[in-house]
Amino acid sequence: MSKEEVRLFIGPQHPGVTGNMSVEVLLRGDTITWARTHIGYLHRGFEKLMERKIFIKSFPLVCRICVPEPDTNEENFARGLEELAGIEIPERAKWIRTLVLELSRLQMFIMWYGGIAGSMGLSTPVQWGIGDRDYILDLFEELTGGRIYHIYIMPGGVRKDLPEGFEERVLKVMDMVERRLPEYDEIIMENAVVQKRLKGLAKIPKEWVDEMGLTGPVARACGFPYDVRKDHPYEAYPHLDFDVITEDGCDAWSMLLVRRREIDLSIDLIRQIIEKMPRGEFLAPLPNVLYWKIPPGETYVKSESTRGEYGFYVVTDGSDKPRRVHVNGPSFVHGITLLERLLVGQNIADVAPIMVSLQTCPPEMER
Amino acid sequence: MEVLNRLREKFEITGDKVQRDDLALVETTGKDLIPVLVYLKTYEGFKTLVMISCVDWMEKGKFQLSYNLWNPEKKKNIIVKIFLDRENPVFQTIYKIWPQAEVYEREIHEMFGVNFEGNPTQDEELILEDWEEIPPMRRDFNTLRYSMEKFGEREPKSGIIIRKQISEQYDEWRRK
Repeated sequence: MSKEEVRLFIGPQHPGVTGNMSVEVLLRGDTITWARTHIGYLHRGFEKLMERKIFIKSFPLVCRICVPEPDTNEENFARGLEELAGIEIPERAKWIRTLVLELSRLQMFIMWYGGIAGSMGLSTPVQWGIGDRDYILDLFEELTGGRIYHIYIMPGGVRKDLPEGFEERVLKVMDMVERRLPEYDEIIMENAVVQKRLKGLAKIPKEWVDEMGLTGPVARACGFPYDVRKDHPYEAYPHLDFDVITEDGCDAWSMLLVRRREIDLSIDLIRQIIEKMPRGEFLAPLPNVLYWKIPPGETYVKSESTRGEYGFYVVTDGSDKPRRVHVNGPSFVHGITLLERLLVGQNIADVAPIMVSLQTCPPEMER
Repeated sequence: MEVLNRLREKFEITGDKVQRDDLALVETTGKDLIPVLVYLKTYEGFKTLVMISCVDWMEKGKFQLSYNLWNPEKKKNIIVKIFLDRENPVFQTIYKIWPQAEVYEREIHEMFGVNFEGNPTQDEELILEDWEEIPPMRRDFNTLRYSMEKFGEREPKSGIIIRKQISEQYDEWRRK
């Protein structure tokens, strides 16, 4: 650090950053010359706690690993345990799980759509995003009893069947969300400030995608059709009809376009799920979960969250507790390895849009 | 998966298993791990490192390092694992092969105490701050004893008293 440079901490409390993490930057004038991510403000030792709990007691814990989108955690952990214990789940349970996953993806995307505008000083869509997300949280409350943490997906299926008339209410909310989206587009996509700031921002070299293991909307904005729902179809996704969304700009604007189109895709998928959902059982018979022992083994299960590939590496040793659970969120690579390299050469005012574009989620970096 | 046969011919493979049709587990020795990873990356299309994980097998005196690779064309995962001695766990860094390995190794160094030779940032704090105990993800780290020593025993009533004080202050403030 020379005398011409200034050292600055952005975060851990800052309206622009996504949760409690901080970025330490060196500035020469307005330009960032070096960046380093600092995490650790949210560390609660989930993985350590899970090693001390029987399997079923970990379910109220795993959903807390990512606050805005908890269902991916539950579904992944449940699927990993089912694979290791050799449990087949009923067909209807798979469809209900897919419905819950897509609803949670949709609410996260809507919140994100407001958030990217907020990171550039447009505060109206932030309120809209949080408001419209609440209609989906109402559905979750009706289905699971909880708005944020659902603890609904469990090994063997799901906890309860859908309530009566739930499908119609889901479709009603979908129509409402779809009606609202043109207003968002008008205020965000057609805004000259947004277009000027995001086009060409955070340009990612294409070779970084495979080398660093970038996934999700970040990889898709670089033209790589990586989507776990297609590459490794889980739950009911093999029966759904959809195409992987890609854009070719490799910049923040392309990530915005990918996520905007993902909202439409999620709405379409939810309609397909409700149309095709079979009737039947929703929970497979389980052994007594309080004395449930799983034979030794290890597996890696993954699913597509809004931020990219979300993986659970589960190791069991034949006892009633897991030997090791490693939660691998996409933000670990996006928020540390990629962000530190991307920020170099950028303007200080663009730190928040870049972080929101990568959609870094600190709790999943420091489980 | 056919890749397992080719690996068995070329390297010292001490165990393998096909867990799912898109996931294989391979066990090798520390000497052969980096050649295996480079071979998989260069010739077999396993271009991406998904994660590095560490498992503590305390009763066997071993640490297990798992390197999870992903083949984007064939859509397959492979987990290559090795066992290290738990007493003095030292291994080479692979951050020159995949840049994101640097952070995964930094986390394992902090949480398990595995030393990765050649990793430039592994001594920087990632999550913990001023940590003096044994690395916390080791199985012999006692969380309860640590919190008792660090924070003392909790008095169950203190919370209620503080809440009462706050509510009294609030009432006082409202009366003004």
